[in-house]
Amino acid sequence: MIQLEKIYKWHNNGNNRVFILKDINLTIEEGAFISVMGPSGSGKSTLLNIIGMLDEPSEGSYRFLEQDVYTIKEKQRSELYKQNIGFVFQAYHLIDELTVYENIETPLLYQNIKTAERQAMVADILDRFNIVGKKDLFPVQLSGGQQQLVGIARALIAKPKLLLADEPTGNLNSKQGEEIMELFKKINEEDGVTIIQVTHSEKNAAYGKQIINLLDGRIEK
Amino acid sequence: MIQNYFKMAWRNLMKHKFISFINLFGLTMGLVCCLLISLYIIHETSYDTYHSKANRIYRVTRSFNNPDGAVTLKLGTVAPPFGPLLKNDFPDIQKVTRLLPNGKTPVKYEDKLFSESQLFFADENLFDVFDVNVVKGNPSKALTDPFTVMLSEKIAEKYFGKEEPMNKMIRFNNQFNLKVSGIFKSFPSNSHIHPEIMVSFNTLKDSAVYGERQLQTNYGNNSFFTYFLVPENYPVKNIEAQFPAFIDKHVFFPGAPSTIQFSKLTKLEIQKLTDIHLYSHTDYEAEENGDINRVYVFSIIALIILLIACINYMNLSTARSTLRAKEIGIRKVSGAGKGELVAQFLSESVLIAWIAMTLAIFIAWLILPALNKMAGVELAAAMLLNWRFLLPLLLVPFIVGIVSGLYPALFMSSFQPVKTLKGLFKAGGRSISFRKALVVTQFGISIVLIITTAIVFQQLRFMQQAKLGYSKEQVAVLPYYFTSNSQFETFRNDLLTKSYIRSMGRSSRIPTGRLLDSQNASAESGDSLQSVNVELKYLAVDHDFIPSYNISLAAGRNFSTGVSTDTANFLLNEATVKALGWPSAEKAVGRNFSYGNISGKVIGVVKDFHFESLRQKIAPMVMSLPKPEQANFFNALSIKIVGTNTTEALAEIEQKWKTYLPGIPFEFSFLDDNYNKLYLSEQRQSSLFTLFAGIAILIACLGLLGLSSFAITQRIKEIGVRKVLGAGTGSIVLLLSKDFLILVLVAALIAFPVAWYGVNRWLTDFAYRIPISWWIFAAAGIMAALIALLTVSVLAIRAANANPVKSLRTE
Repeated sequence: MIQLEKIYKWHNNGNNRVFILKDINLTIEEGAFISVMGPSGSGKSTLLNIIGMLDEPSEGSYRFLEQDVYTIKEKQRSELYKQNIGFVFQAYHLIDELTVYENIETPLLYQNIKTAERQAMVADILDRFNIVGKKDLFPVQLSGGQQQLVGIARALIAKPKLLLADEPTGNLNSKQGEEIMELFKKINEEDGVTIIQVTHSEKNAAYGKQIINLLDGRIEK
Repeated sequence: MIQNYFKMAWRNLMKHKFISFINLFGLTMGLVCCLLISLYIIHETSYDTYHSKANRIYRVTRSFNNPDGAVTLKLGTVAPPFGPLLKNDFPDIQKVTRLLPNGKTPVKYEDKLFSESQLFFADENLFDVFDVNVVKGNPSKALTDPFTVMLSEKIAEKYFGKEEPMNKMIRFNNQFNLKVSGIFKSFPSNSHIHPEIMVSFNTLKDSAVYGERQLQTNYGNNSFFTYFLVPENYPVKNIEAQFPAFIDKHVFFPGAPSTIQFSKLTKLEIQKLTDIHLYSHTDYEAEENGDINRVYVFSIIALIILLIACINYMNLSTARSTLRAKEIGIRKVSGAGKGELVAQFLSESVLIAWIAMTLAIFIAWLILPALNKMAGVELAAAMLLNWRFLLPLLLVPFIVGIVSGLYPALFMSSFQPVKTLKGLFKAGGRSISFRKALVVTQFGISIVLIITTAIVFQQLRFMQQAKLGYSKEQVAVLPYYFTSNSQFETFRNDLLTKSYIRSMGRSSRIPTGRLLDSQNASAESGDSLQSVNVELKYLAVDHDFIPSYNISLAAGRNFSTGVSTDTANFLLNEATVKALGWPSAEKAVGRNFSYGNISGKVIGVVKDFHFESLRQKIAPMVMSLPKPEQANFFNALSIKIVGTNTTEALAEIEQKWKTYLPGIPFEFSFLDDNYNKLYLSEQRQSSLFTLFAGIAILIACLGLLGLSSFAITQRIKEIGVRKVLGAGTGSIVLLLSKDFLILVLVAALIAFPVAWYGVNRWLTDFAYRIPISWWIFAAAGIMAALIALLTVSVLAIRAANANPVKSLRTE
């Protein structure tokens, strides 16, 4: 599903080149559940953003679902992204001015899905996540765990093949964190969604089927 | 999708109430100004377009010039013979119709006596050319018979109330009776002329009224408005080209040498009917016309105010963009493309523009009556609902929304999601300098408006306080109706016995009016009389005119009752002496002089005085004393009242007036009131300027308030750190205000030349004007800076006094 080859990412700081990622080669099959670990500044988030097409490497190639991400047209890449990738953030990143329902609905709006279908899809996921009763609340009215639940629901609403999570439990207490991890596991096993999560916690990392350790921009073997 | 955009927009509007208020208030005020000014422009440009043949109707005007070609006088009217001759000589002219204004005329029906100012003699074919709504009577016959008259509904009701007006007789100037032959609806307000009473033109053929021979031969009486009708798309320039030959063929004056080529001294020109109101600026018009330049100036002002409001929106939206960076990031991560985000932000600004427009229509409707009064116009609120107006009105919010929303939308939609979501985002330098440019624009415009307002005010005050060379206080002026000189003499002697009446002067025209008459003059040069090439204006006066106005003599003496030969003598003003090239006023006295068909001597020279308004240069003028039997040269009577009891004096004059002139209404005005009315249009302009400048500055200040509130929020931590390090309130306020003050200074530097150019052009309308003083510019700059400082300080002081611990802990 994902093939990264010779991915480098650097910043130019004066005359020095500061490397964030160095020679990343990675193949991920569909249905995988990968935890990316490593100390702060090791390049975890950057790697995740590159996989999620929010960022581009300085060098290297990236194939996603058999398509070369950096040679296809902007519009095609956008379609590829919209239909296949969902993002979950540490800080939830819900839109404060929108209700739970509207937040979850947002990605569908950008895929031009008809109203009736949208309603059915949102209702379905609200039901699955047990948050039907919260659908008209605004993010500030929810606890952190509930907000993250909404964040995940939003990431999954468009039925992506790949879910990317950047420290999804970082702002949560351990009980809430566990619930989220259980949810990830379920999604991965039951729906076959490929998951890549960045985490600091050994415990959470253990939910993944595979762990990748990053140090100073390199994958530790 | 659109629905979602609007939902989001609405919630954003409600969440940031302060900023929303600033945006909404600014846009609403801008749109109110725009709406009202648009109404005014539509009204001004609609003049006379309602006639079904409007684009085929033209008016003939006449100008007079010196032999060197300089135009000395231009009239919207021509002499009576021209009308029929035009029809005769130019077969392409289908119809010619004339209107002769009769000035103030006493009209009487039974015991009802009024002085009517909108009384015209009208050609019988008037309705073939103009669209007049005739309610009663037959339009093709009503003006045919002599001594018939048509009245407007308003006038008919004034005289006859509910009675049937047709075939009733009304009395004209106590001279003859007129039979009512028709009733018409008053001309609409967008007509350049408003006859309320139309007497059949054929009445003029009666020799007691004017005389048929006069109508055919009098080329000197240029007071007939003359219109003609041509076929569709007819090239009237062809007709105009033949006018010089036409003049040479027909014009003659008894006694003029046969060598004179009249086409060298006078011209006929053609104006399109629909151009009269905005483009015709002749010395004699049916009513005070508008001015295309005024239309332009106000259009620009409307756009500028709207622009300032749009700038506020742009400024505040870009300044606040950091607050929305997260939302933009999330939307992009959720799959939003740039186009979708631009559409979202534009729909927000369009929504605000729509709300503003709705409010603006309501407010405009509310304040329209007050504005009408202030600007002396008649704009109808109903016009707001006219489709011609409503259609563009629906488009305006889109345009305004897009103009003000496009930059912020493009700017914000280009944010990179990775940065915005990590909280690394800071609005870049480019957007800051763009915002600075916008603030400079706003304040530049405000400063230009402040300067313009100040200069207009100064010029007005200058005109009101100018030394005129005559005294205008406590002079009551009345129309002169006495039929014989002796009748007037007894009236005068009767009144002069009262101590509070000092003198009563008669004249052909009165100060504050125009000097439009002139005759040929010859002046002593060496041993003989030489014809004078300069136009010398004519004024008939009696010996009491000069004392009534306290006009000073530079040399010689005034006309005297004791000297019977004075009817052949002349008084000149200093401007005439100068124009004739005579060395001094003293040396002018006693020289031979002839004017028209009178020859005599110069007996005195008066000091120059401002007979006309300060727009005109003091014209060289000749005053002469008509013979007793020529008392009909006089048109006005000026009574100088002394002492404090003006009311009693007026009552006494009225009582005597009624005894001597029973059929004539007693209507007077005070000369100083007339004088103030001269500058009414400038006064209105200045109050409108003040209003608009005020609004522009208010909107700009609100924008500055919003912007500085944002800047302060962004620097709240810096302020906290500085306070902890010991900075006082003053230094922090200065720190926060400094940036804005610099912008205002830059704005001032740009505004000064623009303002100078503008006011300089405006001042050229006045022959006598104030010098443009530099301190007005400095004061306007300082004023703008103070306003800006005050605005910023309101928030800066609050920020400076806040507890630093609070702001530092939030991190």
